[in-house]
Amino acid sequence: MNLKSLICLVIVMMISGLTMADQNNGQQLWNSVVNKRSCTSCHGDTPADIGKHIKTGKIIQPMALSVNGERFQDGKKVEKWFLRNCKWTFGRECNVQEKADILSWLSNQ
Amino acid sequence: MKQKYIMISGFALMTSILAFSFYGMGKSLASGESEHDEHRFSSQKQNPLYLEECGSCHMAYPPQLLPGKSWSKMMQGLEDHFGENAELDEVTSREIENYLTQTSDSSSYKKMFRNLGSQTPLRITELPYFVHEHDEIPSRFIQGNDKVGSLSQCNACHQKAERGQFDEDDVNIPGVGRWDD
Repeated sequence: MNLKSLICLVIVMMISGLTMADQNNGQQLWNSVVNKRSCTSCHGDTPADIGKHIKTGKIIQPMALSVNGERFQDGKKVEKWFLRNCKWTFGRECNVQEKADILSWLSNQ
Repeated sequence: MKQKYIMISGFALMTSILAFSFYGMGKSLASGESEHDEHRFSSQKQNPLYLEECGSCHMAYPPQLLPGKSWSKMMQGLEDHFGENAELDEVTSREIENYLTQTSDSSSYKKMFRNLGSQTPLRITELPYFVHEHDEIPSRFIQGNDKVGSLSQCNACHQKAERGQFDEDDVNIPGVGRWDD
């Protein structure tokens, strides 16, 4: 095995190790409040219900996959919203583990 | 003789006034302007990317509501977009900026930018013309109205706002009804 293959293998192992999603952690993070902000500020208390943008009042379609099959089908879109919304809500980007946890929880709602 | 001279002058004056009136009428009809559609932009193709990226959080404001230079400034600061993070990748951002600036700059509807001077406003609601057009509406109809909340919610009252139509005929203030000033 050459060095390049070894590095690839390690990266794959790291990623797969990190992305063992835990939906309970996802739920906890979704409901956590940081500086009076939470995912629920805009998405509402129940992911299966519609939400409302806290500032503009614009309706946000449900996040739960069971009632909104259009969610999480476009990876680029998912990453865009995680970037924007983690920064707004938590004041920082979410890491791979956190994103996997949240996706896991929402996909089972 | 003097009386005849006055009559001829009067006739000439009347003819001139009439001629100018007809000219003015023809001109305003030709440009599509009349008393009732003076707050309407020429319809333009809506940009799907703009609708998706910006319209998912708020009304996709017609580009003609701000000068091109304002849109550019706004698109450069999306990380703090009126207190929200609205950042976009560079390619998407550039395409939306081009759409907004080009549509605004090429529009013949420039009323919104009256008395702006060298300012580069970011809020449509702070344009002097906008303020003037809305200054008679009591705050209980806007800020004190649950279904409106703020003047930035154009489409709460202007039923066809997203299509660029802001005629008074199309105004319906929730819980109040039509508005004529």
